[in-house]
Amino acid sequence: MNKKIESIILGIMCLILTYGISVQIKTVNSINSNLSTNAIENDLRDQILKTKEKYDNIFSSMEKEQEMIEKEREKATNNNQELEDYEKQIKEKSKMLGLTEITGPGVIVTLKDSTNANSSLDISSQLVHDFDVLSVVNELKNAGAEAISINDNRIVSTTSILCSGNVIEVNNQKVGTPFEIKAIGLPEQLAALSRPGGYLSKLEQYGIETELEKNNNITIPKYAGALNFKYAQTIK
Amino acid sequence: MKIKKDKLILSIVIGLSCFVLAVVMSMQFKVVQQTDITSIETMRETELRTELSNWKNKYNELSEEYNQLVEKRKEYQEKSQDDTEASELLKSELENIDMLIGKTDVIGNGIIVTIDNSENADTDIIADDLLLIVNSLKDAGAEAISINEKRIVNMTDIVEIGNNSFIQVNGERILAPYSIKAIGEETYLKSALLGNGGQLDELKKLGFYTDIQQNDKVEIKKYEKDMFTKYIE
Repeated sequence: MNKKIESIILGIMCLILTYGISVQIKTVNSINSNLSTNAIENDLRDQILKTKEKYDNIFSSMEKEQEMIEKEREKATNNNQELEDYEKQIKEKSKMLGLTEITGPGVIVTLKDSTNANSSLDISSQLVHDFDVLSVVNELKNAGAEAISINDNRIVSTTSILCSGNVIEVNNQKVGTPFEIKAIGLPEQLAALSRPGGYLSKLEQYGIETELEKNNNITIPKYAGALNFKYAQTIK
Repeated sequence: MKIKKDKLILSIVIGLSCFVLAVVMSMQFKVVQQTDITSIETMRETELRTELSNWKNKYNELSEEYNQLVEKRKEYQEKSQDDTEASELLKSELENIDMLIGKTDVIGNGIIVTIDNSENADTDIIADDLLLIVNSLKDAGAEAISINEKRIVNMTDIVEIGNNSFIQVNGERILAPYSIKAIGEETYLKSALLGNGGQLDELKKLGFYTDIQQNDKVEIKKYEKDMFTKYIE
């Protein structure tokens, strides 16, 4: 009698495990089927990687040039009060524009798609949308943020946050959940986002997972693109 | 005694197989979690083509800027000995930075959008409407934007104050009608707001007054307040 029950329990356990495995394998298979062996697609991937590499190379040589320019600038402004003042302004404004890597105190906000499937809520509202990220960034600016990045993509004056398919594009760079939004500013003020009734609690009501962490040493990278005007001109 | 030994072996075997199964399952879970939708490995042909052209554009933009940097560096090396020449150089660089940051009045090709509350609409225009319009304009490559002459700079916020009573831009109150100016490629800017899903057409559908004008001499005022940072290093 005892043995019978034992074997039934064992049988059920085995059944559940094999079922679980087969479901998993199926999911993985259907994802892998996207990894097409199509020659055209592989060729495109190859080209993308090559372009990326070229981009990275020119980006690092740009950094070298910038360093050299800074040295030249220092040499040029040595012992000249007026020029030193120009140099200081250029440095300070470059920081604000997003042209240099910076550090400082602030907060790190994380937004994640809901992981517990709660059928009573709309599935779409449980995902992080472009507008949610845009709003969090806007709220951080309102709370006095001086620099912001999303998954290490620096927010500059021309940055847009828009969805493209099932991912979000920031500075033409695809970013996916979880979204890590770093902001430098007065941490206590920036943390107002997580107060009861604040913007993050609104997102949580929809089922989005949010987290806010104060940090005294946040590093935000510089903008990984070019900042140039083609159409606008200063009125003299 | 023998029965007991059999049972022991049996339970060890079962325990082991359960362990193996559990390990396989967790490995599978991991694989599923690691599949990154932003990775090019999972993209199809059309997505790959747009991704490639994106990267090519970014590369071209950057190489243009790189060439300018090289020029600039050479100029510095030639002129750093002479104080007046160096001064000119620094001044022009500072002027360019001031333009990029929004501290100069600018003029150029662009559009002027006007939206206003209307009796035909159930609500008033809210801050989020303006935020979305600005976001779309930035996506279309706008170089300078203002709302009711308040310049949109990097850290500009557009928020509702009080109980939806008025809208603040750069901490200053603005009132309807809202005039949004943008400098950039006119057709891009226009098409970003019009058409299906475009912010301006959405507002029109809701009953608001909307208007869009192309202009080759849009003037946008500079950011009025002081710009400074306290926390970044």
